[in-house]
Amino acid sequence: MEQCACVERELDKVLQKFLTYGQHCERSLEELLHYVGQLRAELASAALQGTPLSATLSLVMSQCCRKIKDTVQKLASDHKDIHSSVSRVGKAIDRALSLLLRQNFDSEICGVVSDAVWDAREQQQQILQMAIVEHLYQQGMLSVAEELCQESTLNVDLDFKQPFLELNRILEALHEQDLGPALEWAVSHRQRLLELNSSLEFKLHRLHFIRLLAGGPAKQLEALSYARHFQPFARLHQREIQVMMGSLVYLRLGLEKSPYCHLLDSSHWAEICETFTRDACSLLGLSVESPLSVSFASGCVALPVLMNIKAVIEQRQCTGVWNHKDELPIEIELGMKCWYHSVFACPILRQQTSDSNPPIKLICGHVISRDALNKLINGGKLKCPYCPMEQNPADGKRIIF
Amino acid sequence: MAVQESAAQLSMTLKVQEYPTLKVPYETLNKRFRAAQKNIDRETSHVTMVVAELEKTLSGCPAVDSVVSLLDGVVEKLSVLKRKAVESIQAEDESAKLCKRRIEHLKEHSSDQPAAASVWKRKRMDRMMVEHLLRCGYYNTAVKLARQSGIEDLVNIEMFLTAKEVEESLERRETATCLAWCHDNKSRLRKMKTCKKALQPSRREPAGRGAPGHGHAGLPARHAHLPVQAPESGVRLHRLPWFFLLLTLCILSDLLDPARWRMLIQQFRYDNYRLHQLGNNSVFTLTLQAGLSAIKTPQCYKEDGSSKSPDCPVCSRSLNKLAQPLPMAHCANSRLVCKISGDVMNENNPPMMLPNGYVYGYNSLLSIRQDDKVVCPRTKEVFHFSQAEKVYIM
Repeated sequence: MEQCACVERELDKVLQKFLTYGQHCERSLEELLHYVGQLRAELASAALQGTPLSATLSLVMSQCCRKIKDTVQKLASDHKDIHSSVSRVGKAIDRALSLLLRQNFDSEICGVVSDAVWDAREQQQQILQMAIVEHLYQQGMLSVAEELCQESTLNVDLDFKQPFLELNRILEALHEQDLGPALEWAVSHRQRLLELNSSLEFKLHRLHFIRLLAGGPAKQLEALSYARHFQPFARLHQREIQVMMGSLVYLRLGLEKSPYCHLLDSSHWAEICETFTRDACSLLGLSVESPLSVSFASGCVALPVLMNIKAVIEQRQCTGVWNHKDELPIEIELGMKCWYHSVFACPILRQQTSDSNPPIKLICGHVISRDALNKLINGGKLKCPYCPMEQNPADGKRIIF
Repeated sequence: MAVQESAAQLSMTLKVQEYPTLKVPYETLNKRFRAAQKNIDRETSHVTMVVAELEKTLSGCPAVDSVVSLLDGVVEKLSVLKRKAVESIQAEDESAKLCKRRIEHLKEHSSDQPAAASVWKRKRMDRMMVEHLLRCGYYNTAVKLARQSGIEDLVNIEMFLTAKEVEESLERRETATCLAWCHDNKSRLRKMKTCKKALQPSRREPAGRGAPGHGHAGLPARHAHLPVQAPESGVRLHRLPWFFLLLTLCILSDLLDPARWRMLIQQFRYDNYRLHQLGNNSVFTLTLQAGLSAIKTPQCYKEDGSSKSPDCPVCSRSLNKLAQPLPMAHCANSRLVCKISGDVMNENNPPMMLPNGYVYGYNSLLSIRQDDKVVCPRTKEVFHFSQAEKVYIM
């Protein structure tokens, strides 16, 4: 981002100035102290000898005094000079980042909805905390979730927590390259995993086999006997099994130097964690990303758009345009993956259909909203706006997406 | 990730969300700079004073001993100056480096590698959550989360912990910490024309008068009582009128009901936020509200719950309740999703209507077809596959 780069430049300048000033300050004060120290030594020896202050020494002393005064005053004013650079950083930040969010302490300037929508009710705050706890469990941050439950005195049922605790245990084991718990889990959920077309069990066996291979010729017998586990997967993963069997040839040579070195890639471990998480979440009926993550991410897309439109509305002083707080004033593009529900917008009236204004399928197959249909009735008959097919309004059939 | 965010969108969002991330450490830098300047000025004036004394002595005919002792004094003051200067510069440098670290982190949003970008996004959510938790008062959780996510440098924990100390001391009806805070931030508070201590005039008035409004809207008349400029003097504390009045407050504290203290805490909180140019709501809350609105459809709230989707965040238990008072998403163009598979229905998967009026994707109907019949998943009615009619959506 261009403006961030500007802030960074100013910061670098300030850091540089601090560095040079600091060095200069220390050095000149050191010199001064050294110089004064020398003078003091001379004076001290003069005092011992009982001689009075000589004229030269007196002159040197006054020069020294002047030098001290000049040096320290310059130090003070040099530091003051850095101030302009520091305040430039602040100005750069103000320029780079938006004012819109800053000013919201006064009223609902930035609020998409009234700021107080959630504050007003203690209950809503509790629900929000609950949503955060659920999110933390799903992300595997169990200790943080526990802490939040304690601090906010929320009670989370054990049945909700249980699957996450188990998943987390298995994932931690996987991170330490311990395949045991994961295999146990995969075997116990074999049927459902097969329904999902998951190859988790096979992949776990494969990783174990590869690890045995990496152990060198000593592990050959063990590897071979372990290969028996591949038998149930022979049909689906024939090619991969062949590859692994083939790699046995290079066992003595060492797998790293063979064409099969890719089997030893550490990315397999990262991949197995991901596969496990994905399959486990599907089994639990959860999406991989917690609902809170998705909502937050969608908010990140929506926020600047809504702020802009609010600014435009206020600037053009047409606040009347967005006065019904039941719908946002503008569409937010989140991408196709976020189309969770069907939405039908009548192509004629450009409005979303609802229960009171449902979509109607005409005889020709085109779909319009009931309000649009009523508007198109002309003398008891209806002409489809897309294909000029005359039909009876009563023939329109209500459809449900 | 479900939500697509292009680099340009990330930049736009950054502009809107990240002001506190940079501004708060900058204000600390500013504060430390001013403190450093004061320290250096003060020590410089001490040195100058001692040197002036030495010069005066030299102009007369001094005994060597007295010169030596004065010189010792000069050496001492110079050493103090050196030490203070080094310390102050270190503190300033530290603040500046913190600002730099945060900027460098923010820059990573535009990284080319997709893995780095998704890590950045996850950290962003964690950062906003930490700030939100701090505002709610769940300090331990916030610190734990920050540590686990590796974002301790990037969130303003310090600021909130300082505020926590003040608030807790006020709850115990002690004013010392709060006063110290006021003194610490007095130049900025003065600029804000705070009416923080505006309660004082009302202590003689009946309790009902002081309307505990949000911010300063309810207390306009009180501004007039407070001088904006406090006279500078060596013993500044005693001159600041609000301190004096607050001192009276302490003495009379037994006579004040708890409501006054709560009001003071509230006022402190709002002033603290304004001081750091933060809003009253966390960025997390605002983002979440916007996000829920953007996803919310009427089908998430159908009475019989028939149209809930397992993937839709707004249909999930907690978020469903949270999103209830929020506006719906605005859709100008149709988008159809098959209830069976969740796939989009378009030219590649045309929507087909069964005789009961329910619509499914062609591919899904193929997959549930058995013996040329299909069973509507929602009404359980059985139809012939051929009875499905294509519908045309413009």
